[in-house]
Amino acid sequence: VVDQIRLWQIENERMKATPGFLFRDFENLKEYEACVRYADEIGVLTWKSDAKRMFFVTRHEQLRDYIKSRKTK
Amino acid sequence: MPRAIRGVLIECDPSIKSIIVQIDAEDHAYIVEELDDQTLVVKENMLTSLKMKLDEKLKATQIPVEESDLD
Repeated sequence: VVDQIRLWQIENERMKATPGFLFRDFENLKEYEACVRYADEIGVLTWKSDAKRMFFVTRHEQLRDYIKSRKTK
Repeated sequence: MPRAIRGVLIECDPSIKSIIVQIDAEDHAYIVEELDDQTLVVKENMLTSLKMKLDEKLKATQIPVEESDLD
């Protein structure tokens, strides 16, 4: 039992799990940057890679609407 | 149009990440996307199963404790 508790502790220290959504396949850098900025502003941005043009957010509803509104402009 | 893929972002040691990649290599049931050497996205419904397998692997790599203390 002691061993198990210790293993979970190790894992908790070494591993952070955040449920959410990975955004990818942006058409261009400008679109990617605008979406990352928006995600950061509304406080849902967890991780991003400019090189890969991908980012991870905890919630996607607002961002989805934002992307749609950009398309209709 | 960008795509949004549901999943769980895992941030961990490179050593833990390499074990997760090993586990996934068996049937590719866990990983959605490898992001860098400390970050990856896994399927949400597979997280519990992944944690169990990770525990098994970590346990297997540990040196067995001698039971002489119990005498």
